[in-house]
Amino acid sequence: MTRSNVVKKREPQCLHGELLSSFHHPSTTSLSVVRIHSETMAKAMTLLWGAGSPPCWRVMITLEEKNLQGYNQKLLSFDKMEHKSKEVLDINPRGQLPTFKHGNTIVNDSYAVCFYLESKFKSQGNKLIPDSQEEQALMYQRMFEGLTFYDKLNAVIYYDWFVPEGERHESALNRNKEALTTELKLWEGYLQKLGSGSHVAGPSFTLADVVIFPTVAYLFRFGLSAKRYPKLGEYHNLLKDRPSVKASWPPHWLENPEGQDTLKDI
Amino acid sequence: MAKYMTLLWGSGSPPCWRVMIALEEKNLQGYNQKLLSLEKLEHKSKELLAINPRGQLPTFKHGDNVLSESYAVCFYLESQFKSQGTKLIPDGPAEQALMYQRMFEGLTFYEKLNVRNKEALVTELRLWEGYLQKLGSGSYLAGPSFTLADVVVFPTVGTVFRFGLSPERYPKLGEYHNLLKERPSIRASWPPHWLESPKGLDTLKDI
Repeated sequence: MTRSNVVKKREPQCLHGELLSSFHHPSTTSLSVVRIHSETMAKAMTLLWGAGSPPCWRVMITLEEKNLQGYNQKLLSFDKMEHKSKEVLDINPRGQLPTFKHGNTIVNDSYAVCFYLESKFKSQGNKLIPDSQEEQALMYQRMFEGLTFYDKLNAVIYYDWFVPEGERHESALNRNKEALTTELKLWEGYLQKLGSGSHVAGPSFTLADVVIFPTVAYLFRFGLSAKRYPKLGEYHNLLKDRPSVKASWPPHWLENPEGQDTLKDI
Repeated sequence: MAKYMTLLWGSGSPPCWRVMIALEEKNLQGYNQKLLSLEKLEHKSKELLAINPRGQLPTFKHGDNVLSESYAVCFYLESQFKSQGTKLIPDGPAEQALMYQRMFEGLTFYEKLNVRNKEALVTELRLWEGYLQKLGSGSYLAGPSFTLADVVVFPTVGTVFRFGLSPERYPKLGEYHNLLKERPSIRASWPPHWLESPKGLDTLKDI
């Protein structure tokens, strides 16, 4: 095998490489490249979402936290049954939102998307899974309790949406309200135990906050009393101004700042 | 490591089974365990409520960390013991994405089992039959490797066959069930009362 004396010039293999070779100033190179790289990554992503959906909100918060702003997105209407349209069914046979595509990869469950994004973009944006064993355990625990929390919320605020007219009962709705009250007291207790200014799994903002905050925001949107649930109120105030949360705040809430009072008495 | 772990569990409970499979896969045999009777409502006992206010099984303790959500335990174990036992989260991004996707669909699958709506269960079973069909014989739920998706979903599949599901009507699920029931971690954690009474029920034989 002959040994070549010519030094082969390394061709940039991808967009990242091409950009790298065109930035010459050392101090701006890494930041600019990282930002452009993130934007390029985000451009390969599409989120189909609906207003009034905490699961969709979870994904949007995660995308912001991982510096993946600039993703393609399409707002669909649940009322017009657009979540059952061919466009959605083609990528999600369950006809549910959120539906998320990254290149050829499709991920259709909000928690799945959150885990996928944290794993794939571990080294950029905010670290959403803490290293400490104790914090990690609590984060996973609260994340999955968060599913129950969300179900109990839906059973009250979306009762009419989920239960066909002929099957609705006042007694069932009342039972659901009691179940939600029990659930709220548990979370109030969790936050009480961690102390003021804490996130839901400890000192840091984690995936547990990503998935749970939308549920908490919906509680207050639907009239939950911060006087009765002061710890939840504090937590709500702590996070509502977080950049990723502000950036993904439901647009129709901005249009109509006054929510409903379905939960004011629970 | 395993001696600092305690699992409170109930026989035949898919969530408990998930945790036991994960512990076996991560070579954490030898953990302390206590079998509680769901029938006798032992999961609502003072002892359990003291560590788990929701009074649910599984309840898992590792030192001071208490976890009572089966998926939380599975993720926690894989994360804390990444370098031992079976690798349960694959590196390939496409496999990983599919694993996460199927894991969370697995929650819906399990819910449909518990609800009395047989039509909804049939629709769900056909979806999974299709997923396995697409991946081909001998495949696991997220591709060529056994992953967390199999850990959390197999117990549901084990349960449907225990309740009489027909492998003739659901051949891909039947193949998957046969493939996994011989896996060491699954054999080791097979519900004891299923071993005592090998013949299951026939609730699902006609669906």
